[in-house]
Amino acid sequence: MSAYLAVSGVNKSFGGLQALHDTNFEITKGKITCLVGPNGAGKTTIFNVITGFLPPDTGGVTFQGRSLDGLTRQQIVHQGIARTFQNLRLFIDLTALDNVLAAIPGQAGETPWGAIFRPFHTAAVQTRMREQAREILDHVGLADRANDYVRNLSYGEQKLLCVARVLATGAELLLLDEPASGMSAGALDNIMALMRRLQTEGKTLLVVEHNTRVVQRIADEVLFLHQGHLMAQGTADEITSDPELAKIYFGGAI
Amino acid sequence: MILLQLLINGLVTGCALGVVAISFSLVYSTIKIFHVAHAGVYTLAGYIAWSLSTRGVPSLLAFAGAIAFCALVGAGIQQFLYRQLERRRASHLVVLIASLGMLAVIQNLIAGIYTPNILQFQIGWSQTTLRVAGVLLSYTQLLTVAMGIAAYLGMMFFAHRTALGKRIRAVASNPFLADITRLEPKRVYVIVIAIASAVVALPGVLVPLDFGLQPYSGVNALLTATIAMIAGGIGSISGAFFLAIGIAVVQNLSLLVIPGEWSIGVTFFIFVIFMLFRPTGLFTAR
Amino acid sequence: MDFWYTYIVLAEIYVLLGLSTNLLVGIVGIFSVSQAAVFGVGAYIVAAATMNDTLSFVPALLIASACGLALNVLVTLPSLRVSGDYFVVTSFGIQLLATAIFTNWTEGTGGANGLPGIPPPDIFGLAVTETRQFLVLSSVLLSLGCLAFWLAMRAPYGRLLRAIREDELAVAAAGKNILFAKVSAAALAGAFAGSAGGLYGSFLSFVDPSSFDLDASILLLTMVVVGGARTLTGSIIGPFVLLALPQLLALVDIPTTIAAASRQLIYGVLLIAFMLFRPQGLAGEKL
Repeated sequence: MSAYLAVSGVNKSFGGLQALHDTNFEITKGKITCLVGPNGAGKTTIFNVITGFLPPDTGGVTFQGRSLDGLTRQQIVHQGIARTFQNLRLFIDLTALDNVLAAIPGQAGETPWGAIFRPFHTAAVQTRMREQAREILDHVGLADRANDYVRNLSYGEQKLLCVARVLATGAELLLLDEPASGMSAGALDNIMALMRRLQTEGKTLLVVEHNTRVVQRIADEVLFLHQGHLMAQGTADEITSDPELAKIYFGGAI
Repeated sequence: MILLQLLINGLVTGCALGVVAISFSLVYSTIKIFHVAHAGVYTLAGYIAWSLSTRGVPSLLAFAGAIAFCALVGAGIQQFLYRQLERRRASHLVVLIASLGMLAVIQNLIAGIYTPNILQFQIGWSQTTLRVAGVLLSYTQLLTVAMGIAAYLGMMFFAHRTALGKRIRAVASNPFLADITRLEPKRVYVIVIAIASAVVALPGVLVPLDFGLQPYSGVNALLTATIAMIAGGIGSISGAFFLAIGIAVVQNLSLLVIPGEWSIGVTFFIFVIFMLFRPTGLFTAR
Repeated sequence: MDFWYTYIVLAEIYVLLGLSTNLLVGIVGIFSVSQAAVFGVGAYIVAAATMNDTLSFVPALLIASACGLALNVLVTLPSLRVSGDYFVVTSFGIQLLATAIFTNWTEGTGGANGLPGIPPPDIFGLAVTETRQFLVLSSVLLSLGCLAFWLAMRAPYGRLLRAIREDELAVAAAGKNILFAKVSAAALAGAFAGSAGGLYGSFLSFVDPSSFDLDASILLLTMVVVGGARTLTGSIIGPFVLLALPQLLALVDIPTTIAAASRQLIYGVLLIAFMLFRPQGLAGEKL
């Protein structure tokens, strides 16, 4: 059986800096895969390549056996891959609900003519969509914050909203860029539980994560990236118990 | 022979526009502001020189006065407009609108003071002509070419060889890093606009010697200059300068087949071609 | 009384234009100084078509609106594909080019003298000759325009445009087509400006290039900035305030030679002052 998502032979450099160096890996459907490695290892670059934000210099990505080469960012989302951003990139002048609504695909009234010439249809569909968005917010635990503006949400709530937004796209493969960083202990439990829940609902997750305790608790599979190259692949225990990798990760500080 | 004359005229105009382009490009690539008001500073230079010279100030001194005045106006725009907008965290669009407002203010102050009608310089030597190989050249045209080449070389030397030029390029490439080091972008910005305004005052005083002064003529010059900047590759001094010459030559040669009032169409056509086929410009800086 | 009717009709026409500029500048957030050119194209099309009886007013206005739409799509499509500041250049270029065409294409536009004697509109055989009647016509069209603007902004489309203005990358990550959203907003803006132009020419029964030059575009921008970006109220207030200004200036004794310059000077000052001290205008949202 072919892999769910396969990254093969990807190279990407910026000017003189080689961000990805012959990167190869595969991830399995229904699993939570964590992408770890020191800063500058190319984790976010991988996300950018998979989601079409950056074209690879060489190599390519296949998803469910289909190549993603040459697809636009938009087409890749429609294939079922959606991402979050490390710096969130929420629409801070919109409400939480509108942030989720903005990511729901195929709404009536998303073109000017639809909005103007079929106002009643648009309004009816909006009512349904709003219901759907509320359910998504409820799912991530933000139901009571639906009508608050993003700038009034706490950092932890904003991070949950990012997950809500990728869920809204309807994607099957979710790429989460440091969903747990900078969170308090309580919020951390919250987001880990959410990730597990998403997994049981059939989503596949690829997660960039720094916190080793989070990785140990959620990862089915860990990919260790170093200098743009895949160094090791295994379970969380295998990776964390490898002294060689620990040395790279912590710069020999332990 | 007319072909040669048009070619020469194109080169002369191109030198003047090239200087407008490199001065605009200096501001754009350093401060990242699409400094539309630059067209107003360009126009202002001619009027200041005209005022001084009609009051009996010797012409070269009048030019120097206009250049100094423009540098001050430019620095003032940075200090009292752009700087204040930045403090208020104004978006790019807001800065652009304010800059357009400044252009309207300068142009219409000029029109209010000097009337919107065309004014001519009364400087004897400027219209003296030489006939070289059947082509007529006025002293003004010769001076324009000399000024253009000097400004281009000066700008290249300044940007690549002087400490201040290197500092400006450092600030341009990474304003955030420059801010936390001791490069002081805020002060560099004032200096950059002052320099650019002084430089744009050069063609600002020379071009009207031949063509006369009009309050609203700056926008056309600016349009050609910005097109040259984009077609040349943003950030490239040489690109902006030589593309401006290229465009002016094409514009002048097109006079053989297209009447002069359509020259804006020719310029714009060149822009569209570049946008469709080479949007990053010819001399793209890496 | 007719004086007031004229003022209101003109203001209403400018509100239509203001909606158009607001869509582009306020909502999509792209700088445009060429909406007066689109306005002019609409005006000249209706003038030319109704003057030699090629078409009656209604189809002529529809064609003007369609041409405005097409022109704006043509202008925005290539430059938005590249980057924001290219559009500034495109916009200046289109405006200057349009002025050159309006002034120099004498057979089509009457050149600097303009086209006099544009017949009053007839709506399916009903001639609109008096200012009072025209007021009804422009009010109806304006209401339609406002309704369309309001519907578009409250629909998912309006939310999409807001989201794009806040963070394009995030919208792209959500799988939305950004270029399409922007260009369709420009198309809508073009249709508004084109039909406003048609109304304008038929109302004044005369058009000349001075109504559609760069200064006119600056006036339009000032209307949006003073009224306030992104809101219907802002787009309505702006033109009524700005068109009252020349009347006020007429009370002050300014020599006619510099009357135009003083008006434009005030627009410039208003643009700067509002950007510095009140970027949300009188009744809008922060630009």
